Amino acid sequence: MAKTFAKKDRKLGVAQENARYDLPLQNSAGSGFLMLLVALMSFLAMMALAGGFTMSDITERWSSGLENKATVEIPARTKDGAIRDPADVDALVKKIMTTLTSHYNVRSANALSREEIRDLVSPWLGEDASNESLPLPGLISVDLKSMTPRNVEALGSALKTVSGDIHLDTHESWLNDILKLTSTLQITALVITALIGATTVTAIAGAIQSRMAEFRADIELLHLMGASDNYISRQFQRHSARLALKGGAIGVALGMVAICGFMFLSKSADSELVPSITMGASELISFILLPFATMSIAYITARLTVLRTLSHLPL
Amino acid sequence: MIRFEHAGLRYGVGPEVLSDINFSLEPGSFHFLNGPSGAGKTSLMSLMYLGRKPTRGLVSMFGQTVNDMEQSQLGLLRQKIGVVFQDFRLMPHLSAFDNVALPLRIIGTSEKEIRSNVNELLEWVGLGDYKLSLPRTLSGGQQQRIAIARAVIARPKLLLADEPTGNLDDEMGFRLMNLFEQLNNMGTTIVIATHSQLIMEKFGHPRLILESGHLRVDQPKNWLQRKMDGVF
Repeated sequence: MAKTFAKKDRKLGVAQENARYDLPLQNSAGSGFLMLLVALMSFLAMMALAGGFTMSDITERWSSGLENKATVEIPARTKDGAIRDPADVDALVKKIMTTLTSHYNVRSANALSREEIRDLVSPWLGEDASNESLPLPGLISVDLKSMTPRNVEALGSALKTVSGDIHLDTHESWLNDILKLTSTLQITALVITALIGATTVTAIAGAIQSRMAEFRADIELLHLMGASDNYISRQFQRHSARLALKGGAIGVALGMVAICGFMFLSKSADSELVPSITMGASELISFILLPFATMSIAYITARLTVLRTLSHLPL
Repeated sequence: MIRFEHAGLRYGVGPEVLSDINFSLEPGSFHFLNGPSGAGKTSLMSLMYLGRKPTRGLVSMFGQTVNDMEQSQLGLLRQKIGVVFQDFRLMPHLSAFDNVALPLRIIGTSEKEIRSNVNELLEWVGLGDYKLSLPRTLSGGQQQRIAIARAVIARPKLLLADEPTGNLDDEMGFRLMNLFEQLNNMGTTIVIATHSQLIMEKFGHPRLILESGHLRVDQPKNWLQRKMDGVF
């Protein structure tokens, strides 16, 4: 008989130690809305994080690709504005190559052919790039041993002895601008993530205060029966943490679908200008941890909100 | 057990509903609290179950002054008190079982023990078949029995009951009074607010009589003889 009772008890929600609430929090009308809100916030946080990760990846790739790299440019026009003859450009390239290969700070140098230069400008010029009469500069890609200003300056001076209008570009200015831009975007992504977190905390705290007002008589009764603030708070903590974990999991699942979509689009775009989105193990772990982070935030928010509200009750 | 010294209570800026209350109850005593409607019985009960603090005077419970007590300390004292409220104050969303189990869960009793004790007590008050029912599906008398079961389940040191037999027939009323007697014999201090002359006559315990916010203690003439005779 006792066994029958126990089985019936469990079935009807009586005496389920882990899932039991003295307050009807799970039946409250706002629970579904709160879960939806957390799901949406988690989705947005994931998008912001993914943006931050992509920016970080782009910065990494661009900075490492240009490390110790410089480009020597023989302008297509002379100082007085006349177009250089392609043969003159080739002759200058040869002279410069001789200077470069004998310079102490140069590891290697590679003169780009006219076809290679055409390929480089083709994304901007389209079919016009294949026009034979198009004046093209001479370009030499140089791998330097050292990028210290002194060594770079020494190389620049050596090149000036060949021709006064030769330009040595270490990409420093361009790279700095790009790094500033990506850093700004990364910080923006972090700020957005923090704002999403703050909004989630505010929404959870508001929902808890509303529940506490709704069940005030029951909370007072629990107090009168000797329930401590921690006992009451634990019920809200558990309820909020469960909702946040579920909402977070839904948000992350939707986020994964969206990111997979972006990855597919970025690959199919097949353009150098569109950043390719990749997801490594560390990014994946961050996304998996997001629902647990949301759960922890909800748990702590619930505890602080309930204890603060209870401290203002008369008895 | 309970000591009131010049205790008074007023709500907001209104007049005092309790004035200059002086009495003390010994551990293991049994008292009826009586008086006309509006005399302040429920207010006095609320001071005793620590639902309010006096606006003047001193109140001591279990040897501790409660006037300046912290919430956490009050909670520990409240765990020693069982209360039957006049309006029952059952949790509407909890089953009869869970309502009765509440005080045990608050003090951290194991679920196995809770199941055994609550089922036994619900059987005893005649509600064994209603343990999964919600309060709104039960009659006033049944709800009152659940409220009484909830008040006594944790074997409190002090039991306060506000009109505990008001909605019950005489037979069930006397049966529950006998339960209170048994608890009293096991050492529980009991204060029962009632209008029932029949119950007060039959059980004959000393009376705290509250009139216009003032309290006096009335000892029935034959109380000592009846106690010695083992009538109650």
